[in-house]
Amino acid sequence: MTATLTRQSDPRIGENRDAGPSRAPRRRPRTTWTRRVFVAPAVLALVVLGGYPLVFIALAAFTESSLGRPFQEFVGTATFESVLGDADATAALVRGVVYAVLVAVVSVVLGVATAVALWRSVRSGAIVRTLLLLPMITPPVVVGILWKLVFNPSGGLVDTVLGAVFPGGGTVSVLSHPVFAFLGVALADVWEWTPLIVLLVFAALIGQDTEIGEAAALDGAHGFRLFRSITLPAIAGVVGAAFLIRLVLAFKVFDLVYILTSGGPGQSTTMPAYLIWQAALQQFDVGRAAVITLLLAVVVTVVTLPVVAVTRRLHHD
Amino acid sequence: MTDLQTREVSSSDAQPVRPAIIPAIRRRKKRSWGAAVWVGLSLAAALVPLAYLLSVSLMTQGQVSAGLLVPTSPAWGNWAAAFTESGLPRAIVNSVVASLGGAALTLVFALPAAWAMARHRTGGRTLAGLVLSPWLLPPIVAIVPVFTLLRVLGLNNTLAGLTLVYALTNTAVAIWLLEGFVRRLPVELDEAAQIDGAGEWRVLVSVVTPLLTPALVAVGVIVAVLNYNEFLFATFLTQGPDAQTVPVILSLMLGERVQDFGKIAAASLIGVIPVFAAAVFLQRWLVAGLTAGSLK
Repeated sequence: MTATLTRQSDPRIGENRDAGPSRAPRRRPRTTWTRRVFVAPAVLALVVLGGYPLVFIALAAFTESSLGRPFQEFVGTATFESVLGDADATAALVRGVVYAVLVAVVSVVLGVATAVALWRSVRSGAIVRTLLLLPMITPPVVVGILWKLVFNPSGGLVDTVLGAVFPGGGTVSVLSHPVFAFLGVALADVWEWTPLIVLLVFAALIGQDTEIGEAAALDGAHGFRLFRSITLPAIAGVVGAAFLIRLVLAFKVFDLVYILTSGGPGQSTTMPAYLIWQAALQQFDVGRAAVITLLLAVVVTVVTLPVVAVTRRLHHD
Repeated sequence: MTDLQTREVSSSDAQPVRPAIIPAIRRRKKRSWGAAVWVGLSLAAALVPLAYLLSVSLMTQGQVSAGLLVPTSPAWGNWAAAFTESGLPRAIVNSVVASLGGAALTLVFALPAAWAMARHRTGGRTLAGLVLSPWLLPPIVAIVPVFTLLRVLGLNNTLAGLTLVYALTNTAVAIWLLEGFVRRLPVELDEAAQIDGAGEWRVLVSVVTPLLTPALVAVGVIVAVLNYNEFLFATFLTQGPDAQTVPVILSLMLGERVQDFGKIAAASLIGVIPVFAAAVFLQRWLVAGLTAGSLK
């Protein structure tokens, strides 16, 4: 994982473009062509879902573009200026960063704790692991419905339980309070994707070299000290990679916002992906959507690059 | 299949061979009651919301509003209504077709690429680095361009169009997961086949594919689940009951004027059954596939 992701930030990425041709003379041409055919679908996927949308968005960002009629008239950086001057748009980008970092940190802390507990617990059979995985494979739309029912102000799980603990407190409407709605969406997101962290870290724990830990245990290292100085360094690279995956997933949150809050109350849960959706498919302003997309790309890069760097260091140590 | 299981097995098998370390392991296991409590809490956190969904699906609207947590007498009417009134059966068929069709195409696209890239570095570091890059941004980015493309191809609002989009979206993820499995195959096997005169296609079809069948199942399951759960493309690229998938139908039910929570909960559970069944029966492959990428 990390190996692949870190390559993207490699400044020497262009140099290797001629690695193929320079090796080519040693190979028969037929072989080379077969291999080119082998990677052709991958390249096609990259062009259709990466290159082509990128060109489309870059063109739309500098032109007057509606959903029905893109690229009508060149407007230069006017759309950029209007988006950057729009407090709602910049606030959504900042909110997206806060949300992604919060959700990723909470998921990784809970995920690592659960993975270690599974690893050290006597009873952690296949059934337990399958049950723990269920939130992750539940469709996000169903996750949204599920938490909407839990947060339902008239008789939902939270309302009922809080009503029983604090009688006479009135109804509890989590999703109509700006801060609680934000935390509610985050909770649903953490519930859905923490199992992935558990799975990745658990696999790393099982895969680590047990002999080192055993040697340290025989030398008298126990408990937290054993964990901190032996186990944690061994799985640090995977934890870093898991954090990166989780961060990216949290930046992409859309379905949960769409089902749970529609971005409200006010703008308090309008995440960047939802804002792009609103611009493109509700206001039909593809130019504005394209500009927000490009700004989001910059934000995601700026936030993930340090994580990529740290993860890469952890892997090499 | 994989390291996860083989290592698990070998570590327990190894104990009698190395008696010296048994005490250390035993001691660690004995003091793990705290871990067991944490596992129990995690299980509760994962399952209570799902159990509540099941509970709501068996309640009438009045019982939900009254703040009941468990229905006094199960109202099965919600399940019947969800199954007959909302076009859900057709949506499940659509979802399964798009999901399995997309997964099969993805594997056909990804296996040759994963093999060429892992074994022969075809495309070099550029391709290896770029291949996952579309995954980094929200899929909303690609939706307008892909919509325009499908309209040009005449595949707008069809199940075939959606299947094709799914096949392409997940090709990168499948390549990334399969590369890990390809690297674990001994190089000697394909070299031997090539010395015997097999061409690249022959090696791929007759040597690599049979050896990688468990990996293909594992990656196929993951990709199929991703397809089945996908909402954004499905809601935007399909407009009628002929092509709408389960998540789309569920979101439409939420948009109805009068929301019947019991019926929506029942429909959600019916829609989830295929994925949960797949997860339970194919648990080993699911776990193996998901962990392959990160542990390269």
